Amino acid sequence: MVTIELYGVARLRAGREAIEVAARSLGEALSALGTACPALEPLIVAGGRLAPGWLVALNGAQITANLETPLGDEDVVVLVSADAGG
Amino acid sequence: MGRGGYFERYLRVDLGRPSAEHVPLDEATRRAVVGGVGLGALLLTRETPPCFDPLGPEAALVLAFGPLVGTPLTTSAKLAFVAKSPLTGRISDGLSSSSFAIAGKRAGLDAIVIVGEAAEPSIVLVDEEGAEVVPCPELWGRDFTISEASERLRKAYPSHRFAVIGVAGERLVRYAGIANEGRHAGRGGLGAVLGAKRVKAIGVRGSRPVPLADAEATLRIAKDLARRSLGPATEKYRSLGTVANLSTFNRLAALPTRNFQASTFEEARKIEGEVLHETRERGRGSCKSCTIGCEHFFEVRPGERPVKMEYENLFALGPLCGIGDPEVVLRASSACDELGIDTISAGGTIAFAMECAERGLFPKGMLAEEARDLGFGAGERMLVLLEDIARRRTALGDLLAEGSRRAAEIVGGEAPSFAPHVKGLEIPGYEPRALQTMALGFAVGTRGADHNRSGAYEADFSGKVNRFEASEESAAHAVAAEDRAAVMDALILCKFLRRAMEDFFGESAEMLQAVTGLPFEAEELARAAGRITLVRRLFNEREGWTPAEDTLPARFFEEKLPGGAAKGAGIDREGFARSIKAYHARRGLDERGFVPAEVAREMASLLRGKNR
Repeated sequence: MVTIELYGVARLRAGREAIEVAARSLGEALSALGTACPALEPLIVAGGRLAPGWLVALNGAQITANLETPLGDEDVVVLVSADAGG
Repeated sequence: MGRGGYFERYLRVDLGRPSAEHVPLDEATRRAVVGGVGLGALLLTRETPPCFDPLGPEAALVLAFGPLVGTPLTTSAKLAFVAKSPLTGRISDGLSSSSFAIAGKRAGLDAIVIVGEAAEPSIVLVDEEGAEVVPCPELWGRDFTISEASERLRKAYPSHRFAVIGVAGERLVRYAGIANEGRHAGRGGLGAVLGAKRVKAIGVRGSRPVPLADAEATLRIAKDLARRSLGPATEKYRSLGTVANLSTFNRLAALPTRNFQASTFEEARKIEGEVLHETRERGRGSCKSCTIGCEHFFEVRPGERPVKMEYENLFALGPLCGIGDPEVVLRASSACDELGIDTISAGGTIAFAMECAERGLFPKGMLAEEARDLGFGAGERMLVLLEDIARRRTALGDLLAEGSRRAAEIVGGEAPSFAPHVKGLEIPGYEPRALQTMALGFAVGTRGADHNRSGAYEADFSGKVNRFEASEESAAHAVAAEDRAAVMDALILCKFLRRAMEDFFGESAEMLQAVTGLPFEAEELARAAGRITLVRRLFNEREGWTPAEDTLPARFFEEKLPGGAAKGAGIDREGFARSIKAYHARRGLDERGFVPAEVAREMASLLRGKNR
């Protein structure tokens, strides 16, 4: 299972800090996330894609929006607002 | 279409004589630098001699308004305070939002320039006719909080709006700020510039409506922008505020901790924005004329006045000092606001002192004795130290009132290698090794380490660059981020709108055309952005800037991050130097970073002005 961690607005909307989903790619993980947490649709994830202003830090490290990114069972998808400043 | 947005003049107040005169601002100047930080940098250059003492009578403090202040455009109630920083010796500007900005503009002014030095502690009262300098012995040296001093001024002069310095400004703390209505022009010690002039406060009043060249178009744009300001692009600011950054930064190992010795904080959970929101949030607020409402107020203890908190205060007075007690961090933030000191520099300087104390670097005697109980996590000690710094009482407080760079030079030994500053300005809450395009933005910043004049972290968070490497590609992002910030700060509009604007330069030009009636174009604004940076650079060159200043402290090149998602990350010195050279090339500077002589010659008449 892939873990998706939620921070900030995503956490508030979903009412939870993390969720585990079965997925082999980032696109599949985001689809599963939208289904499990409909409050995130469509402003954070939209039909298996990231909404504008949202990105993913794979295992907290490199940041990507590439939906083809392969995921393994130990991977952690950190959902990040691109608007990180202030 | 008529003309609008500008009153085509500024007020020059000489405290020494004292006198005030209106000085015309020609159209070429206004189009060249727009307003706000651009106009402020230009007037600072024009109104001061080379290599002046930022705390001397020749120093100028510029209050520069933008062309949009006083219009219906959301977030436009802003002004820029601009001066030579006593902390860095380089240009500094601080933005602030309040009805002070509107009242100052409506005095029929595009800027106020204050020079000279008052014979005795005074306030400056500005209106449509000019200005007067009024002695204020009842306010100076009385140890009033910012709130107390502001309240006394409000009662004494109910028709004026005030910008005020605290005790730290009076005592010339090099990172004292200027406060107005709960907002702060915090960075770079502009409060000390005012304090050195013996000015406790500036009051402004005015009732002249800001003219709109095309009122109908301005209202249409304002309505559309207000609608977009309430959309998903600003949801973070509305629902959580900037404190939302802390948990994300901690997870990405980008949260400066224990004076940049680490980038994750084991107690982050206790102070993260989501938890503060859940357990302590007691209300929201907004700046004047703002539809976003990003201010969030948190309870310290039941029955006490809630405290406004931002990410930068939270990181600097929390993880950077190894402190995870939310009550201590909230108290410290409130103390900085009431004493009138910059939270980032205060936290950075105290964190530096904590590391010095833990390493036993303070010289024997008073300093070592006073630092005996100082160390990371010493929250109550930090609260006392903030009071000592602001009043320059105790040897340690007096030393730390100088900022981390000067303190490190006095402590000596290896201390300068980990003093957390660029050009003397303490580094904001973005770990450079984990966000290396931002690191480049810090290094080349004209104000020093600065997240508001360079939003280069957006590239690090975009996935477009490798955030663990500063590359030549980083340079393009650093220039673009500086340019966007320069125009936003010249207009002046809040940066929290930036993601609500799809075509930033085009939309900005459209606003300017509607308000001013001048045919601004997107390309012209993009050129103005670069010009504003060059004005700042030329000012810094005149004041002694050298290429060696465009760098980071040695720690970031010599020490790898110890843990978290950025474990092992460090900055490659040679690669970083290449990215700086790439920045110079993109910015149109020579290889060493100087403005080329032919460009400086072309800008000479603009810098000189016609009126001096």
